[in-house]
Amino acid sequence: MSTLIERTSRFAEGLDAAQGELFQCNAWDELWQYADSLSGETPAVSPAVHAHLQRGDLPDVNDPLRSIADRQVGITEAKLAIAETGSVLLIEPAPIDRAVSLLTRHLIVGVAREDIVDELSDGFRWLAQQPRAAAYATFVTGPSRTADIERSLTIGVQGPSRLTVAVLG
Amino acid sequence: MSASTAPFSVRYRRSVGDPDLKPRLLDFQRSWRESRDAQVRRLEQRTERSFDALRRDFAAVKDATLERMDDYIAEFRANAEAAGATVVELSTAAEAVSYIASICKSRGIDLVVKSKSMVSEEIELNHELEQQGITAIETDLGEWLLQLAEERPSHLVMPAIHQKRQYVAEILGAELGREFDPDDIPEMVASARDGLRRHYLSAGAGLTGANALVAETGSIMVVTNEGNMRLATSLPDVHFVTAGIEKLIPTWADAERQLQLLPRSATAQTLSTYTTCITGAQPGKEMHIILLDNGRRAMREQDVISDALRCIRCGACANVCPPYQVVGGHTFGHIYTGAIGLVNTTFHHGIEDAAGPQGLCVSCGACETVCPVAIPLPKQILEVRHQAHESGHAPLWERLALKLWARPRLFHYLMGIGALAAGLASLAGLVRNDHLRLPLPRKLRWRSVPTLPLRSGQTLVKSRATQDAIADSPASGQTVDLFAQCLADRLLPSAVDSAAKLIEAGGGLVNLPDGQHCCGLPAFDAGDWGTARQMARQTIETLEQSGNEIVTPAPSCVIAMQDHWPRLFRDEPDWLDRAEAVSNRVHDLASWLDSPGRLPDGCLSDGANGSWTAHRFCQASNRGDPGARIDLLVERLTGEPALPLEEPEVCCGFGGLTSLAAPEVGEGILERKLNCVAESGCDTLITNNPGCAIHLRAGANAGGASHETLHYADFLAARLPRNE
Repeated sequence: MSTLIERTSRFAEGLDAAQGELFQCNAWDELWQYADSLSGETPAVSPAVHAHLQRGDLPDVNDPLRSIADRQVGITEAKLAIAETGSVLLIEPAPIDRAVSLLTRHLIVGVAREDIVDELSDGFRWLAQQPRAAAYATFVTGPSRTADIERSLTIGVQGPSRLTVAVLG
Repeated sequence: MSASTAPFSVRYRRSVGDPDLKPRLLDFQRSWRESRDAQVRRLEQRTERSFDALRRDFAAVKDATLERMDDYIAEFRANAEAAGATVVELSTAAEAVSYIASICKSRGIDLVVKSKSMVSEEIELNHELEQQGITAIETDLGEWLLQLAEERPSHLVMPAIHQKRQYVAEILGAELGREFDPDDIPEMVASARDGLRRHYLSAGAGLTGANALVAETGSIMVVTNEGNMRLATSLPDVHFVTAGIEKLIPTWADAERQLQLLPRSATAQTLSTYTTCITGAQPGKEMHIILLDNGRRAMREQDVISDALRCIRCGACANVCPPYQVVGGHTFGHIYTGAIGLVNTTFHHGIEDAAGPQGLCVSCGACETVCPVAIPLPKQILEVRHQAHESGHAPLWERLALKLWARPRLFHYLMGIGALAAGLASLAGLVRNDHLRLPLPRKLRWRSVPTLPLRSGQTLVKSRATQDAIADSPASGQTVDLFAQCLADRLLPSAVDSAAKLIEAGGGLVNLPDGQHCCGLPAFDAGDWGTARQMARQTIETLEQSGNEIVTPAPSCVIAMQDHWPRLFRDEPDWLDRAEAVSNRVHDLASWLDSPGRLPDGCLSDGANGSWTAHRFCQASNRGDPGARIDLLVERLTGEPALPLEEPEVCCGFGGLTSLAAPEVGEGILERKLNCVAESGCDTLITNNPGCAIHLRAGANAGGASHETLHYADFLAARLPRNE
């Protein structure tokens, strides 16, 4: 088992290779301030993030899906991050979770530093023990992309064009 | 009728007439190879295991699952249904279509948004639903472009790789009612996103495939890059999954093993952007998982074919396939493309749809080397080709030519006449550099026609003085049977003579068994196993006369004897034993010169000056034969290093009958090879298989290339000391 520092630095490399960005912060409030500063709009947040933030001025989490579509910034949280691949594991049982992580242009994913694991196999081992989590689980590795037109890599197709992983703590 | 659904001959003509296809696919294959190899190297370093060990591990998982398919289906079904999904096992494409249509109708659904699913292509779902008034919209960008153009995928993971950006601009423009700058790909992608977005919100159902069905939890795993699959499964109320029964794996740990291999082999990514696992229906929604047979159980019953069910649809087999690079997937395949398409089409769509492209495969074996589940694709293609031949799908000229070839005396008689005719042509000034100057039709002009020398290889060996030994070797004093090979004997006789000299230089004595002709390879390659058996039996009888070790300058015959003869005689135990007794004694000349007829290092260092490089016979190289490294042998014996050559083990385009049956394919592959040779700047190109040497020389002659082409035996024998 590697140290937390080693895993964080490996994760940063993997994320960079997948064209994601890293943001290190101490707490959810700091993450919110960063996210809120990115555009003139209020970021869309998932129910779990809403609970973390405990702020009265946030939009209703039951916002219909359509209003989230194409929001500039969305914030969600990951259960795990995988150092090997730079991936984050999102558990998204409700459509609203997926709307935030898919329909916004710039997705910010918060993950606790101690939840960075070494390898993808650790992620699958975790998943195998959490049958409820596997109802709708996604390893996200970088921003959405396509190379379907003449193999020209284009970042940002149906999902976000920018992905930031905020490592908390 | 669109470009991709026309009959094979029409698709073939269209693809060889497209000037942009070859260079684009060449660029793709080369960049894929580089990034994929880098990914595989990193994986090997991290896991401290070889790619071969990793792929064999996962292949064993797939094999064990297929072995107990019904148990795993039951386990998957129980778990998925416990999680609220409906699981149906269906036998045919028609059943799958009608199941989906009936659910849609009963729920009042008239719009289905689709994520990429090869099974839905296999059953031609979009077309069939349309007949029933249900619209299906592809949301993967590449698949959507195909749908707009009414085309089929030309690659398993890059479905629209054949489309040019100008064409994409045109079809997108027509659909979205605006003009696009073909060079602004990001703008086209952004508009496609907006064009597709509205459909998610109004669709009643979403449809996806599955990269894996995980039995222990009844889950599906889907790997994508765009994000459309997550939209298609989140917004509509009904989720259909179409998956072949072969996608089952037992556990999540196996899913992780599959993911080590799949994205690296498919798109050379460590991991695709989205790896999504879904278990059961989401609250208030429906999930219907369709487990399709459609020929898969029949595949499982055939020993040689069943391994093809391991396929994880990565497309790597197409990415290294030389004929695929020339004609693309609309021609090299049917709905499934690449090498795997040449195999499974027979079972999903029938021999009629599978037969057309069979003759395009050059049997180079590159596909098997990169297959992440180690499917013996070349072997399987030859099996399907045999079935196609048996069902009457071989051209008449090919059948007649093989019948002639199978009769040694008639063959030699005709060759004798041919040699005389060539002599007359030479007198008439129609020969230059050993090739005829004939007014060939345009499609054959890329390769000159070699003349037939008056004296065959066997005649040369019999009528010359013995070469003095230059060194002792473990084979000193040992008598060796020389198998000339039919092609070399007539078209490259010097290589046969040189082989004899090199054996003698190492102290061996050469015996030339009487009546030797052809091992049966050309007929076997063409799927005509009856004729192949006839030739093989004749060769076995010829080579049984002595118990000597057998040496040949033709590695293709060694492979035929060792790999193909056991298949030809699998139902004839007596002949199988006799074939094995002979093939156990056969050696490729190059490996013989290393052991036991070893020539010492540097013993042929006094030779003509001039630079050289080596094209290494693809089939032997991809099979991992040490003797295929003729570059190392020649370096060792001459002390002169080879010039670097790009893609030294990629096929030269000879491919046995392929270059005759599909001349444009032979030409395209040869062009790739000769460009690499020209870039090497060599004076002499050496190669190890006589077929390659003849083909490369005839191509260089037609193209006016400046290098000389030699069989390595000729290159080496020219440096032997003259007898005192």
